[in-house]
Amino acid sequence: MQTIYTLFLFTSLLSIVLYKKPLLAQKLGFGLASVISLYAAVFFFLHVNETLSWQLPGNFISSPIFRLDSLGILFSFLVSLIAFAVSLYSFEYVKFYAEKANLAVFASLFNAFILSMLLVIASDNVFSFMLLWELMTLISALLILVNDGKGAARDVMIYLGIAQIGAFCLMVALLIMASFAGGFEFSAFDELNLSFGMSLTLFVLLLIGFGSKAGMFPFHVWLPLAYCQSPSNASALMSGVMIKVALFAFIKFSLFLPQYVQFGYILLFFGALSCVFGVLYAAVSNDYKASIAYSSCENVGIIFLGLGGAFYGLGANLPSIALLGFIAALFHIVNHAVFKSLLFMLSGNIYTATLTRDMDALGGLHKKMPITSIIFFVAALSICALPPLNGFASEWITYKTMLLGGIEESVTSRFFFVLAIIALAAGGALAIMAFSKMYGAIFLGLPREDKNNETAKEVSTIMLLPLCLLASLCVGLGIFMGDVVDVLSRIVQNYIPNTYFNQNEFISMPTIVLVMVLCAIVPFVLLYLLKSNNTPTRITEPWACGFIYNKKMQIGSNSFTGDIKKALRFILKSESEITIDGYFSKAVYKRKTHDLFWDKLYAPIIRLIMFIADKIGIFQNGRTNFYAGYILIYLCLVLVFAYYYL
Amino acid sequence: MNFFYLLLQLISAILVAPLFDGMARKLRAKYQSRIGPSIFQTYYDLFKLVKRGRTQSYSASFVYRMAPYLLFVTAAAMFCVLPITYGSSATFAKFSDIFILIYLGALYRFVFIIAGFDTANPFAGVGSSREATIGFYSEAVAIICLIVVMLGAGSSNLPYIAATLREGSYGYFIPSYAIASTAFLWVMYVETARKPYDLAEAEQELQEGVLGEYYGKDLAIIDVALMLKQFSMLGFFLVLFEPWSFENPVLALLLFLLEVGVLYVLAIFIDNFGPRFTMGKGMKRTMLFPLSIASIALMLYIIGV
Repeated sequence: MQTIYTLFLFTSLLSIVLYKKPLLAQKLGFGLASVISLYAAVFFFLHVNETLSWQLPGNFISSPIFRLDSLGILFSFLVSLIAFAVSLYSFEYVKFYAEKANLAVFASLFNAFILSMLLVIASDNVFSFMLLWELMTLISALLILVNDGKGAARDVMIYLGIAQIGAFCLMVALLIMASFAGGFEFSAFDELNLSFGMSLTLFVLLLIGFGSKAGMFPFHVWLPLAYCQSPSNASALMSGVMIKVALFAFIKFSLFLPQYVQFGYILLFFGALSCVFGVLYAAVSNDYKASIAYSSCENVGIIFLGLGGAFYGLGANLPSIALLGFIAALFHIVNHAVFKSLLFMLSGNIYTATLTRDMDALGGLHKKMPITSIIFFVAALSICALPPLNGFASEWITYKTMLLGGIEESVTSRFFFVLAIIALAAGGALAIMAFSKMYGAIFLGLPREDKNNETAKEVSTIMLLPLCLLASLCVGLGIFMGDVVDVLSRIVQNYIPNTYFNQNEFISMPTIVLVMVLCAIVPFVLLYLLKSNNTPTRITEPWACGFIYNKKMQIGSNSFTGDIKKALRFILKSESEITIDGYFSKAVYKRKTHDLFWDKLYAPIIRLIMFIADKIGIFQNGRTNFYAGYILIYLCLVLVFAYYYL
Repeated sequence: MNFFYLLLQLISAILVAPLFDGMARKLRAKYQSRIGPSIFQTYYDLFKLVKRGRTQSYSASFVYRMAPYLLFVTAAAMFCVLPITYGSSATFAKFSDIFILIYLGALYRFVFIIAGFDTANPFAGVGSSREATIGFYSEAVAIICLIVVMLGAGSSNLPYIAATLREGSYGYFIPSYAIASTAFLWVMYVETARKPYDLAEAEQELQEGVLGEYYGKDLAIIDVALMLKQFSMLGFFLVLFEPWSFENPVLALLLFLLEVGVLYVLAIFIDNFGPRFTMGKGMKRTMLFPLSIASIALMLYIIGV
């Protein structure tokens, strides 16, 4: 097992050493990364349900032990699997960035990022965990900066700022837990003896710490900024697996606390909010990458709903709900990792082909990039949770958990679970809107701007290979839902012993496929019996009610969501901007939707901090004698303090 | 044998649906003091369409060509979800789930929307946009009603719910269930796309969405799919709120088709007197009524009535 980590470290160092030869470093860095992560994925898959541990050789202040239990192995497997697909994709994709950045550095950071995620999962004491956690944040921030885009510095600072708020809460929570446990090793954290108030505080701190990293509402503001800035392979890794590492750590640490039903309610509430708001902004966004990023917020919400059910079950001592909730959450984590990294890589394909992220400038790409388009179709279907793909399988189990919770007698639990179901359903309806719009506006119809479409061409086979792999996983994980649930339930049963559940109550995915195939035969039989007309199809212009057709008449991404924007004006604050210069020139119409929580929550805080910093700046005036004065005043104060109190 | 009955359920619905559509058209004509077409007119229309050639916009891709079949498959699968000829012991019982029905409806909407984009037709695009918006409105209300029923009966499995209702341990004596039935019928009416929810304030092309571009056998298949979808929506209401039927599958099927047909024809009474709304105002305002009814039902459930 140590070999995997060592090899990633070695590849990372090798790539940086070769920084004078970026092309060679890129080939070696990403090629080796894909081979190692494939090996790691196979290794972790074979050792699931075992506990592995190793110690860092050498003489350190603390002796860091790394330990993986079955949950850790599941997440390590997930990281390696997605890393395999992404690094294979990056092998060709990063050439696009050859002029913007040194590819050797990029390859080195990429390997270091995978390594840091694997180590965070494996780390087994507070010190190494926090160190690696911060390292992971820093490396991901550097990866965002690879694509030296407009406003990158600001977006990275927002990302780091929110990550630092989270890390601060985490540090506080972990130190309190360590002081109660009497040791910094996580193995000592079991059976913490805490009061209700203390455990609730710790739970909230952990939720802020890991939720901010996972993109939970209201910490979601960094998602669209960071993911739009970074190269698509880095966004695929960050959205696909980095936020899953945060979720893993959240599950791991909150299981150490004594359980109360209120934990479940908190998770359900924030999960429901993330669900609705994430996908609402995804639906109205005109930038496809921002839209995919906002949809991450929605999916994290769905995962939190599953976890909310699980924690409710633990708190109320209803192990069957807890088991089902954990299965739902883990299943959706796996699914989201697969389709979200797939969608980000596809967005990379679209961007390299057209050099624009504006959906109103695209269209008709299916004719230029047929395979990308079909894979996107599969990914969109599965992220919309449409049967019989994987998104539906995990959302169904989440619904099942919510139903079990909602049947309970207490009014509070009924209220929260009902809220969760409504959020999940409303999120589903909006997700249909977001992704049908995205697929339609990008791939179908006619190109809206010629200059973006002329040069577009299909990407190379080596980039399509990992995409096909992930797309077939989307289908496979859906159809073989029963087997996946079996594997996951065995893992969860290590944590909640003496539980069982009956798969007979589950829906059967193969039956859905069977019925749909049967239904597909019916129209052909009917048409054959009625001796239908089979003459070739007549190709016409689109009907424009008698006017001469112009492709500018097509509906765009902005106008598609016009009705919903009007209906939800009280949440979706948007401003339109019309530029007309001269009678004969074209009027430019722009409409930008604001993130309500950025405007109402983040912007005032940032303004306040800027104001305070401005005022403090008066002291920092650069004159040496003033500084000497400060030191003098400080010394006097210390002397006075010492005289009276010591 | 199960499988045979499922096929029978689907085929008989396909065969009977145009008849009820013809009856509805005749009845509407009578209302408007016209003689109206024969009640078999919908069959004649379908036959005529099957014999005609097809058209396609030059922008269209595989989505446009596959859409009629995809729409048919989803609508037919939605109809198969309804447990009419089979009970909770059958193989297909594991397939008959409320969420499967809802998400198949979502798949139907997804295909309808992207087919609209694919034609590059401005009217089809606006039709798609409205389909998505109406979907958002109606799904929110529908799910609230369904939550009441699912949580009340204790499962999302349709045959199980139907069996519980027939048994008498859950039913109209529970206030939340009775109130939810009203709102649910309303939403199912919205889903069948009749006035005032067809929103054709400007042109016929808007109302039809993507259908404006199709012709020939493609259009015939979509027409059948639309009727099947409307049948499944009304059937969904019947299964949840009117599940009493015969034990014998064939008799149950006959009764069911009759009930759906009567609801389908009765909808004309609202349709004929319904005003036409604009998207921005009427839709939002009229959907607030079922939403509040459904919310009352939900609150009653939460407090345990």
